[in-house]
Amino acid sequence: MRWLRFAIGLLLALTLHSLLDSFYPNALAFFNPYVILVVYYAMGGNLVGAIFAGIAAGLVQDAYSGAIFGLHAFSLTVIAYIVAYINSRLVLRGTLPFGACLFGGSIVNDLVMFIMVNILLKQKIEMFEQEMIVKAIFTALFGMLVYQLLTLFLREEPIEAARRPAY
Amino acid sequence: MAVPVDAYIPRRPTLLLIVVLGLLFVLMSLSTRTRYVGETRTMFERTVMTIFSPVPKLVNWVGQSTSDMFHGYLDMRRAVSENYALQQKVIQLTTDNLKLRQSEGDLKRLRSLLGYADQFNMPTTMAQAVMLDTSGRFKSMIIDRGSNAGIQVNDSVVNANGLIGRVVMTTKDLAKVQLITDSNANVGVLIERTRRQGVLRGDGASGATLNDVPSLADVQVGDNVLTAGIDGIYPKGIPAGVVVKAEKGQDLFKSILVKPSIDFGNIEEVIVLQTRKIPNDVVRYTP
Repeated sequence: MRWLRFAIGLLLALTLHSLLDSFYPNALAFFNPYVILVVYYAMGGNLVGAIFAGIAAGLVQDAYSGAIFGLHAFSLTVIAYIVAYINSRLVLRGTLPFGACLFGGSIVNDLVMFIMVNILLKQKIEMFEQEMIVKAIFTALFGMLVYQLLTLFLREEPIEAARRPAY
Repeated sequence: MAVPVDAYIPRRPTLLLIVVLGLLFVLMSLSTRTRYVGETRTMFERTVMTIFSPVPKLVNWVGQSTSDMFHGYLDMRRAVSENYALQQKVIQLTTDNLKLRQSEGDLKRLRSLLGYADQFNMPTTMAQAVMLDTSGRFKSMIIDRGSNAGIQVNDSVVNANGLIGRVVMTTKDLAKVQLITDSNANVGVLIERTRRQGVLRGDGASGATLNDVPSLADVQVGDNVLTAGIDGIYPKGIPAGVVVKAEKGQDLFKSILVKPSIDFGNIEEVIVLQTRKIPNDVVRYTP
């Protein structure tokens, strides 16, 4: 069920990505739907599942964006792992914790990408801190809105907790 | 015996993460190498794109269709309002055009009329035809000026094309004009080319006959007929018509048909010539 939700979420994220690219090309500079999807899935606390979710979402985002192929997959895998790790220790539930995870996830995502681009392209690029923070805020706000809608729609806690791993 | 799914899941997620990140790093390196040499997409990237390609295509199709419908609707609304505005404009311009054509016609007619009126060294009055009766045997016209404007019985009525008739009755503000085509109308005329005189008499239809012209007189079709100024009513030299038929008559006179120079169907403005009348005692005096 969690994977089904993830698959639907991935299709919705890609749809939103395509829509925004077609009609408001600058909108994706303000929030990242793939980060919302990966954080949502990773909050279940399953580390392995979160890694695969990060790879899948990242590769789809890479395929339809102009970045280095694998860059988004790399950064999303990192944040998926971090969020899943935190949630395997502290069970965070509710809109505000979700928003906080999104804010942090978005910042980490951009930081990882910044570092990887510097390493791979061997050229110093500028880091736009303000844009990074604005993007994190909007991603968090949009994600919290989606979370609230999911709560209303599903009539239960939208994040399904993963079965505790044996290790 | 079925193998549980968990059997394939690595037990050490951190190790899995390191492996995955390492593979992704290799993928990125490969992508970076091929990035600027024309082949920008790796096979793996192409595969991912192909798998998910229906989504952007569908989104694009839906977006494009919606946009087309919306713009089509807006264009249709705009076209409808433009069409309405243009129709209003066409109506307005047609009305303006008609007014201008009318004004242009009036101007041309009045200019020629004024020029014509200047030729006469006698008092003249401009008048407007308000009623025109050419349907019966008696041809007449009512004009919108009467005795208050100085118009008297037997004043000649002309326009730029020629002779119309004479005033036979006046009120203060109207006057009745007998047309030269009336069967009781008689005008002393002459042939312009030969100066041969005769009497033009209305035929009660749309023409007139030229009477009292001897059989031997030289009259040809196309000759212009002018007033002779010998009847005490019409001044000399006003065009009255053109000879359209000239034959030998049954007796001593020719049978001549004259087409009036006026088209009585479209008379609008006229000039009333206030001619000097011959006193009655002079007319009636017998030596």
